[in-house]
Amino acid sequence: MNVTCRDLESILERQEPAELAALKAHAAVCAACREQLALEREISATALQMQRTWESPELWPRIRERLAAEPRPAAPRWNLWSYFSSFSFNWQVAAATAALAVMAVSSYWLMFNTETEGTPTPPKVSRGAEPQPAPPNPARVVVDPQQRLLTEEALKEVERTEADYIKSIDRLSVLAQQKLQQSDSSLMANYREKLLVLDSAIAECRAQLEQNSFNAHLRRELLAIYQMKQATLTDVLQEAP
Amino acid sequence: MTALFVENVLSPLYATETRVESPHDPATLNPASTRPAASAEAALVEACRRGRMDAFERLYQLHGPKMKSVALHLMGNTHDAEDAVQEAFLKVYRGIGSFKGDSAFSTWVHRILVNACYDMRRRGLRRVDTVAPQEDSDDEPINRAPAPAANQPLRLALEKCVAQLSEAQRVVFLLYEVEGFSHAEIGEMLNISEGASKNRLFEAKRELRRLLTAQRGAAGKGKP
Repeated sequence: MNVTCRDLESILERQEPAELAALKAHAAVCAACREQLALEREISATALQMQRTWESPELWPRIRERLAAEPRPAAPRWNLWSYFSSFSFNWQVAAATAALAVMAVSSYWLMFNTETEGTPTPPKVSRGAEPQPAPPNPARVVVDPQQRLLTEEALKEVERTEADYIKSIDRLSVLAQQKLQQSDSSLMANYREKLLVLDSAIAECRAQLEQNSFNAHLRRELLAIYQMKQATLTDVLQEAP
Repeated sequence: MTALFVENVLSPLYATETRVESPHDPATLNPASTRPAASAEAALVEACRRGRMDAFERLYQLHGPKMKSVALHLMGNTHDAEDAVQEAFLKVYRGIGSFKGDSAFSTWVHRILVNACYDMRRRGLRRVDTVAPQEDSDDEPINRAPAPAANQPLRLALEKCVAQLSEAQRVVFLLYEVEGFSHAEIGEMLNISEGASKNRLFEAKRELRRLLTAQRGAAGKGKP
């Protein structure tokens, strides 16, 4: 590549490695370009010295005081609209169209296939034929007492599984504790800090659940935190000693 | 002979120019960075969302020094810089619920800081209107980052020249060359594209070269 003095600025602007190498070769025989390149390097090196630090022991207490006076930040809520808005416009249109289509088909199907309990549709009688019994309607939901019993059993099983899951995480935690306490590495310090935060979040979530044990959102949140804790503990155990 | 000269003398010239950037991990730019691992940062964000004061204190410990330095460059004196950092923390506290994790938490915090600085300047809350080079005789002793070969006259000359840059060029120069942010991060902070950040940096450095060359020329003529 043939480089002249006139190419200096454009090459510095583009920062292409091949061009820069050619410029360096040119600078070896050109004092003016050599001086400009040296100046460029000096600027970058000297700029590092412009970083400033100073002690301000009163700043954090001041900030803390102001933060304490603020109302607690609003807890983040899963918002269907903001989730929907995060998709591109085309996807939003596609999703809206699909939703409309599903609603239209459902409405049509419900309108022509449902029958209210206690008012059965009379069977169609064709001329010269015997009346036929109406076919069973899949839309009609009849709550069977045995079915209800099965649902409650399933719910209890979910709760039992959840309790077992928490117990197994506690056992994992005991195994990881030894490794966490023994190592002074910054990585383990980070893990310790993360686990502390997670434990505190679990305690907070449980306290809220005690006040409202039927809050499904809180239960899901608690489970998510436990999953995060499980992943962290697994990472700790997989780290080389 | 020429090849030897290129290898031994000019090769170091690009040691700082070909900075390897990892757009979303400023820690790679500075190995001694105190930025925690991504997982720890996620936990910190979660704790901040719950309004925990110890989490905000940790955030201050991690990013406070750099935030103060950035604010000082934008505000011009330590008092205003500290006010801006305080204002930024208040905004982070109030707006933590809106942090979606699209960018690194530190980038988001610094973006808030930069906006806080601009807001304060717009509202006329700063104590000085021009950003003059900081003299060491300020109220509080200001330390500069240790440099292997500190060139005090060049630093002072550079600070004077930086003060003459346009606001757009100056901010990008300070964030990239002084504070070590990547172009991607600067783009997010200033709401400009990565390419625009690169372009402003090039223009800033070209202008600085021009000003410094002129200064050196004037100094050379003044000598007997």
